[in-house]
Amino acid sequence: MLLKLQNLHKVYKSGTHALKGVSFEVREGEFLVVIGLSGSGKSTLLRCINRLLEPTSGTIEFMGQDITHVKGEELRHVHQQIAMVFQNFNLVKRRSVLTNVITGRLASLSTVDSVLERFSPEVYEEAFQALRTVGIEEKAKERADALSGGQQQRVAIARSLMQYFEKINNELGTTIICSLHFLSLVRRYATRVIALRQGGIIYQGDPKDINKEWFKTIYGEEAEEVEIR
Amino acid sequence: MKTTEAENIEPRELFMRGKEWQNRNNFVKAVLLDVFLVFYALILLQRVIYYKLILDLREVPFGWPQLGAVFIVSVVLGASWAFTRTSLATRLFKLHRDNNITKWNVEIFAWLLFDLTFIAGWVVTKISIVDLFSAEGIHGANRIFSAMFHPNMGIFDDALSAIIETIYLALIATLLSIPPTFLVSFFTARNLMRENKITFAIYYILRIVFNFVRSIEPLIWAIIFSVWVGIGPYAGMIALLVHSVASNAKLYSEAIEGIEEGPVEAMVATGANRIQVVWYAVVPQIVLPFLSFTIYRWDINVRMATVIGLVGGGGIGTMLMQYQGLARWNEVGLIVLMIAFVVWVMDYISARVREAIY
Ligand SMILES: Nc1ncnc2c1ncn2[C@@H]1O[C@H](COP(=O)(O)OP(=O)(O)O)[C@@H](O)[C@H]1O
Repeated sequence: MLLKLQNLHKVYKSGTHALKGVSFEVREGEFLVVIGLSGSGKSTLLRCINRLLEPTSGTIEFMGQDITHVKGEELRHVHQQIAMVFQNFNLVKRRSVLTNVITGRLASLSTVDSVLERFSPEVYEEAFQALRTVGIEEKAKERADALSGGQQQRVAIARSLMQYFEKINNELGTTIICSLHFLSLVRRYATRVIALRQGGIIYQGDPKDINKEWFKTIYGEEAEEVEIR
Repeated sequence: MKTTEAENIEPRELFMRGKEWQNRNNFVKAVLLDVFLVFYALILLQRVIYYKLILDLREVPFGWPQLGAVFIVSVVLGASWAFTRTSLATRLFKLHRDNNITKWNVEIFAWLLFDLTFIAGWVVTKISIVDLFSAEGIHGANRIFSAMFHPNMGIFDDALSAIIETIYLALIATLLSIPPTFLVSFFTARNLMRENKITFAIYYILRIVFNFVRSIEPLIWAIIFSVWVGIGPYAGMIALLVHSVASNAKLYSEAIEGIEEGPVEAMVATGANRIQVVWYAVVPQIVLPFLSFTIYRWDINVRMATVIGLVGGGGIGTMLMQYQGLARWNEVGLIVLMIAFVVWVMDYISARVREAIY
């Protein structure tokens, strides 16, 4: 099992109880989609999984290791193995696209080299390859904030691909956990789906099995499904 | 599980609890404030209005027992007033009874405080219309102005080299302040230091030290360093340097506190270490504000450098002080003109450069 969550709770300092006992498992190579209304706890869940947040209680096991409360060097090691693409990109706006992509690999570079921005030819090669993969190689020298929203999202994906170049992931294949809103996309890509509502899992299973009734439970009575193809 | 308690509390309940606690806390503050305000009013009434204005004493008598008596009276009055919840302080903390008595109390007392403060300020400043417009006074003004409007160009060469010394002194102080300020500002930025207790303690101590250093004017630093390293431009430069570091560290770290957190989170998520996160996610967001603050500081330092010279910090200020001591007003006139010109030019340049940066 790649990832195993048991009875995960997250209470923010403000008192919001954002996750209320979430448990599930993820196998290697899965494409797990998390759905739910805004505020249902999707981002909180994802941030707990890659340990940008520390869960209040419960456990997270990642590749057989309990990472629920790891700190310092160990935590950085966890971050290094899980790449994250943010909804609002979170690029460093004033730096070039290329530099932004390279930052995905900082963890494997020495502090001195990275502060002097002395990167080896292989790093550049990987960065260009990542940019080719997302189809914006020609924008490499431009400043990140000069790109359109969609292009910035591609840069963010390229940045996460830099982490993917790490050998470990290559051998195991890529596992994806992702938050989506369009059910048609969920049906097309997801191998499994989890629906959250008010911090708890209310549906877990095959995306094809989500029928009208489930849809109403997840999104509320008034919601209507929008098709995109 | 650690969180059972937090789970069962309704958000509203939690909010109300916080509110109650805050109210209790504020009431204590209100009592203290009321006591202080009453004490302040009584002291002014006694010392300024009674001794100075009514009895017209030259030396105001001073005694601890008397002061203590006034203090005890104010504690009793202030506290009981606060407990009726009609006082000025309870109104300020919004803990008052909402009725006309409160309204009158607050209005009358606030006016009384204002008037007393104003009268005390007037008396202390020794304001005298007579001095300003007496024949003797007008004659003095006439002499100094006419001399100043006929500047003595004979000392132009000396004044020029002195003012150049001042500008360079300010420039060096500003330049030398950049590296230490840059380094230290990361340690005084709350958002970078709040995570664990040790870093937060460092943050806290540094803040206190810098607030203290900053609250001492460069003029006073110049006095200190002129004793330390001897009178001259070097003392003035160190004085400005110390003050620049403390002042700019505050501005710099405020810029750091205002950055967008998203890129920081993204860097952390890649597994980058602290230094890498700061270098790639924080630094690019703050170089421009830093540059702008630094140029502005140079501008300020040039003004300060002229003043610092008055206490032996070198440059044009020292020269100004010498001629003022000799009452050579024509020379003073030239120096003042040159300072005004340089300050104006610096102000203009720094504004232009800062505009261009943003
Ligand atoms: N940093 C935070 N501090 C406090 N509360 C938060 C924070 N982030 C999210 N929340 C709260 O947690 C709940 C779940 O939010 P989130 O995980 O962002 O939901 P989603 O991603 O499904 O829209 C919401 O009620 C939100 O207000």
